[in-house]
Amino acid sequence: MSILYDEGQEAIATESRRALEARMNKDDLLPLLQSSGKYHDGFWAMAKEQGWTALALPEEHGGLALGLVELGLIAHQAGRTLSGAPFLTSSFGVAKAIELYGSDAQKARWLPALAGGEAIGAVAFASGPAPLPEQPVVTLTDDRLDGVAAGVSGGLFADVALVFANGPGMPVLALADLSGVGRSVVESFDNSRCIADIAFAATPAETLVVGEAARAAALGILSLQAVVTAHEQTGGAEALMEVARDYAVTRKAFGQPIGAFQSIKHRIAELYGLVELARANCVHAASREGQPDFITAAAAARLSATEAYDTAARDCVQIHGGIGVTWEIGLHLHMRRARTLALEQGSSLFWEDVLVDRLAGEAA
Amino acid sequence: MSDLEAWRAKAAAWCESVVPQFGKAARKGLTVEEDLALGRRYQSAKFDAGFAGINWPTELGGQGLGHIEKITFEAEEMKHGFPNVYFGISLGMPVPVLMQFGSDREFVKERVIKALKGEEIWCQLFSEPSGGTDLAGLRTRAETDGNGWKINGQKVWTSWAQYSDYGVIVVRTDPTVAKHKGLTYFWVDMKAPGVTVRPIKLAGGDSHVNEVFFDDVKISDDHRMSPVGGGFAVALTTLMIERYVATDSAGFGPHLDLFVDLAKELTLNGKPAIEDGRIRQQIARNYAMRAGLDSINRRARLMMQAGMTPGPEGSLNKLVAVRSRQKLSELALDLQGTDAFLFDEHLSPKDDWATSWINAPTGRIAGGSDETLLNTIAERILGLPQDHRPDKGVPFNQIPA
Repeated sequence: MSILYDEGQEAIATESRRALEARMNKDDLLPLLQSSGKYHDGFWAMAKEQGWTALALPEEHGGLALGLVELGLIAHQAGRTLSGAPFLTSSFGVAKAIELYGSDAQKARWLPALAGGEAIGAVAFASGPAPLPEQPVVTLTDDRLDGVAAGVSGGLFADVALVFANGPGMPVLALADLSGVGRSVVESFDNSRCIADIAFAATPAETLVVGEAARAAALGILSLQAVVTAHEQTGGAEALMEVARDYAVTRKAFGQPIGAFQSIKHRIAELYGLVELARANCVHAASREGQPDFITAAAAARLSATEAYDTAARDCVQIHGGIGVTWEIGLHLHMRRARTLALEQGSSLFWEDVLVDRLAGEAA
Repeated sequence: MSDLEAWRAKAAAWCESVVPQFGKAARKGLTVEEDLALGRRYQSAKFDAGFAGINWPTELGGQGLGHIEKITFEAEEMKHGFPNVYFGISLGMPVPVLMQFGSDREFVKERVIKALKGEEIWCQLFSEPSGGTDLAGLRTRAETDGNGWKINGQKVWTSWAQYSDYGVIVVRTDPTVAKHKGLTYFWVDMKAPGVTVRPIKLAGGDSHVNEVFFDDVKISDDHRMSPVGGGFAVALTTLMIERYVATDSAGFGPHLDLFVDLAKELTLNGKPAIEDGRIRQQIARNYAMRAGLDSINRRARLMMQAGMTPGPEGSLNKLVAVRSRQKLSELALDLQGTDAFLFDEHLSPKDDWATSWINAPTGRIAGGSDETLLNTIAERILGLPQDHRPDKGVPFNQIPA
């Protein structure tokens, strides 16, 4: 896979951007923050309509047989417009786990539904600060899950969960139908993520991978999701850099545009650097799917994208001055999303360790 | 194997084959003069092997290939630490400008071939005490003198001037017009009467840059390479030539694996340094940054290969890489504690942390300081306003000094 987009890929970027810019606006997003447990229906409807949910899944299961590069392009555009629902990444992660480790029956049951967007997937790996804990709090005994998976993005509406659980003396990666589980909404600073605590109580689950291989498989899935998220973060950072630039050339102080002050223009130029480094790492990582260095590339993409989005959010608000902190202008939507995406799929602290373990030859 | 891959393989094989003659080990302990002599032999061998002037026209001694072949060769060449630094400026800017603007084509051909073989070296006389970043602020003047010109003034930061045979120079020929309109571009014989070269010793201990003084230096009008008053445009062309060169995401300092090795060898508070969170964070952050630059550069090469123009993000390399090299070198010295005091200025900044650290500021300044690069990104790429320039449109001789 080349790191140079071809014509078809360029078209995907252009078309998804056009569609998203036409239908997403902050006035639809702001109310979601004050209502717990809602997502942007319009966004998800568009994702299904445009085939984004099917994009990177195999053809024989209702997918379009494209890959991480194409999904990344969509995620980048979705990030620019603050997507509106957390499922694009997690449904993809669940589907990839089923594709890689599932039985024919599991594939037949879930993949077409996930590809069509009728089913929503959630990923429950984390336990508090640990994205992939040594001892998961959810346990698997006799094909039944028990325990609470806390803070699962998209968990409120998910139909199927990919769970990293504590099996009998070893970790397992399991698949659980969520139709019967108890869930409670987590009130968050970014309520459109539909974050839930999922309470498993003797919930039937099917095992995908057992033992240390389960940890490796979970890290692989997390890395795939991290690359999609990194694209989304980079898109958000890019949009903020442009917003900051536009404001700096129009807003005047002391008789000139504030963008003429080096303290402002250099800040925006530094953002350009962060965005382009993140974009380059994202494109590279997407092109390495399935290769031995994929996790290293994913970690680098994740780290630079998180830095880009957080910094862009901080600096863009700062450059706007007072207007930047108002509810109405909506820059806080990006601030919230930057932090949410920084936590989903494991924080920078986690990915730094993953990366250094690999560079220092200490990989598990 | 693609044509380019075949080219890369051929380049790599040739480079390998001359390592015993010209590699790091062969250069060890040489004085600068001895190393330069070795460099001239290296350049000559490169010419004979068909790797000099790769993307230059064959009628001028080049190979008539593309830019992509050039940077592919340079990426291979860079791995071995050959003595080619003396020719970087010469073949990078002045000689290509001579090829483009020199009027006497026979003279041009002779000079270009001698430069390609390492027999002659050219320098670029741009910066002045009062005009570095502000190139058009220069004060060295040329006045008409019979049927030629007479140059007086001083240049500074001129790389390799002490070994140069020729130089290209921008001087003020009309102080009564706005500053960038009164400049003219010439070439000069560096051995001409009235040219004095005085090396400047830099913080890192070496003296590759110089002050150059011009006292009534006479040149004929056929040395002129721009219209009278049209020198600024040619100077800008010089600066724009071959924006994509072989870049190094390590900022021409040590590669990150050397830092990882150091952190694995040393302990910090009784524990392996590689287990320390602060060290790990720096390794991870540096890796992510350098990997990003590598990917940008790879993509630029692919674009050129496909006949496209690479994006402006290639300009980030120097800004980001050298800055991080400076900080990582500091951290490497921190890790070694007082053991880091031992210093040998002849070690390579590519594998010695102290040498890398003390030479890093040069890298952040030469070819445009961080601040200049940030202005360029802000103004040229992002369309932000230019800095306030009170001298804009004012005749040069009315600008307060």
